[in-house]
Amino acid sequence: MLTLLRDLRRLRRTIDLPQPGRGRSLAIRHIDAGSCNGCEHELTQLASPYYDLQRFGLGIVASPRHADVLLVTGAVTTRMREPLMIAYAAMPEPRRVVALGDCALGCNLLGSTDDLVGPVEAILPVDLRIPGCPPTPATIAEALLELIDSPSSHAPESPVVSRSES
Amino acid sequence: MTTSDAFTSHRERVGAALADGARFAGLHATSGGALVRTLLADQDGTTRLETVAAQKGVVPSIIDLAPAAGWDEREAHDLQGIRFAGHEPLRPLVNHDPALERWVPVRGEDVYQLAVGPIHAGIIESGHFRFHLVGDRILHLDAQLFYKHRGLERAAEGKTLDEGLAYVSRACAACNVANGVAYASACEQALGLVPTAELGRVRTILLELERTWSHLNDIAAICAGVSLAAGNNSFAALTERARRLNAVVSGHRLLFDTVRVGGSELALEQEQIVAAREELASINAAARRGWRELLFNSSFQDRLSDIGVVTATHAERLGGVGPGARAAGVRQDVRATSPRLSYGGFSAVVPERAAGDVQARFEQRALELWQTFGILDELLDRPIRPDSAEPSEEEQPIGVGRVESPRGATSCIVERRGDRIERLRLRTGSYANWPVVAYAATNNLLPDFPLINKSFELCYACVDR
Repeated sequence: MLTLLRDLRRLRRTIDLPQPGRGRSLAIRHIDAGSCNGCEHELTQLASPYYDLQRFGLGIVASPRHADVLLVTGAVTTRMREPLMIAYAAMPEPRRVVALGDCALGCNLLGSTDDLVGPVEAILPVDLRIPGCPPTPATIAEALLELIDSPSSHAPESPVVSRSES
Repeated sequence: MTTSDAFTSHRERVGAALADGARFAGLHATSGGALVRTLLADQDGTTRLETVAAQKGVVPSIIDLAPAAGWDEREAHDLQGIRFAGHEPLRPLVNHDPALERWVPVRGEDVYQLAVGPIHAGIIESGHFRFHLVGDRILHLDAQLFYKHRGLERAAEGKTLDEGLAYVSRACAACNVANGVAYASACEQALGLVPTAELGRVRTILLELERTWSHLNDIAAICAGVSLAAGNNSFAALTERARRLNAVVSGHRLLFDTVRVGGSELALEQEQIVAAREELASINAAARRGWRELLFNSSFQDRLSDIGVVTATHAERLGGVGPGARAAGVRQDVRATSPRLSYGGFSAVVPERAAGDVQARFEQRALELWQTFGILDELLDRPIRPDSAEPSEEEQPIGVGRVESPRGATSCIVERRGDRIERLRLRTGSYANWPVVAYAATNNLLPDFPLINKSFELCYACVDR
């Protein structure tokens, strides 16, 4: 196992990661609302040594109750509409919604209209859109790091914008 | 012929084919539900469809002959309204019944149910698992998927054969090449086209590149299943390298849009081929080095054996395919019988200790990876040029394509009217294997389920479609 750990340390030295130390964090709850699994595969890479987003305060949390951000992938299917709304309702405020990938943004949607509710913004207020089919880990990382730096995401004292829970 | 004669003779035909060694490879109802077709694959790779006409929406069930048809019949009931005489109870699959306990009565002292999902605690696709337990012991698992059902097959009806490709490749990112090649082969068979040797080579390279990143990812996932961060990180890094190589070779990290019906547009010069070979050799060396570390880590290996056991008999009966079935000793691989692709001399590998447990499925990934690196090294020996399939067979109204995806045998059936899709059916390796996962979980401990699940690492997207 030491060999693997040494290899990983060597690999880390060769990768040009931006400097951490913003002193901030963002807890993300991912929800697959009907994707092709492409966005998930690229999102998973953010934890690999090549991106290592935990070092920048970005973490995936297991419950929407611990989340600042709801990260939604896929065109929302009729069957995932309710679970998605329940997860959103369970989040503390202030909360943000990120639509990840072309399907979530409503671009080139494939499927029967009977089985799809549509893009994420058809049912939730979307704060950040990350296009791509799927977006590369680098694109996702860049967008999320910008989100971490935007002021309102870490200002619980700022007035909570009321949003319909529809 | 009376209805009951027609039904009996249909069952006899299917039963005789299975007795001759053919395998059940899928069942679907035609658009509108007038006919139900059963796809059978012979040992030599040839396929045939046995068709029966529905009488007032009823056809005979074949689940007693081929238990693997269980999900297919339930799907045809939910989506095309077919009733299967003899399939009792015909439980919903795509359309969820909120009162699940009505369907699976598991009763007894101390039995309780545990509901997991559809949303999971991580970056995982959506699907619901209903466990029936005593303590931590799993008595029964109901995998209730189709939360991601997008109606892709129905949406593809009426589209041109070229347009239809997007519906199968976007069904699933992790199997998009396999699905695409299965679809393209089905269309080409219907159009009387046969790929040239060069086109077969290009598609084989793409299929094996898909298997490379997928199997590396599976090894990382199994390490994650036991929280072995060093193993997970090492193989996640190799997965990343494989995807970056895909981007260099094809312009897309997951090889999207590389397959075409009737041809290929991919072009690679000699320098690019040499660079790809070198990177693959380097990934191969790093993977073998990491593999050795995992192999000799006893605390890790101790977690893998005798967990989630599926014997060869059960894998066969339930219709298991791919690495999961081979790890149980079922020496089946569509690549051994794929004349339209470049798998000359291929024969399926199985581990020495084919115990059908997590350990064997883990080892199977490595064995297949080494095989895949060998195939790629052999095929990447000269530049790649755009090429097309040639007309040489008779046109047919229905085409069938079979491909070995990273998760097992994938079948695609295209029924056409002229240049338009009348019915499209995609039955992927994941679809075939989900009932096997549910079986593998039985009698195991609940905390081991994530590991068992990851040892199959199936997609939800191409099951739900």
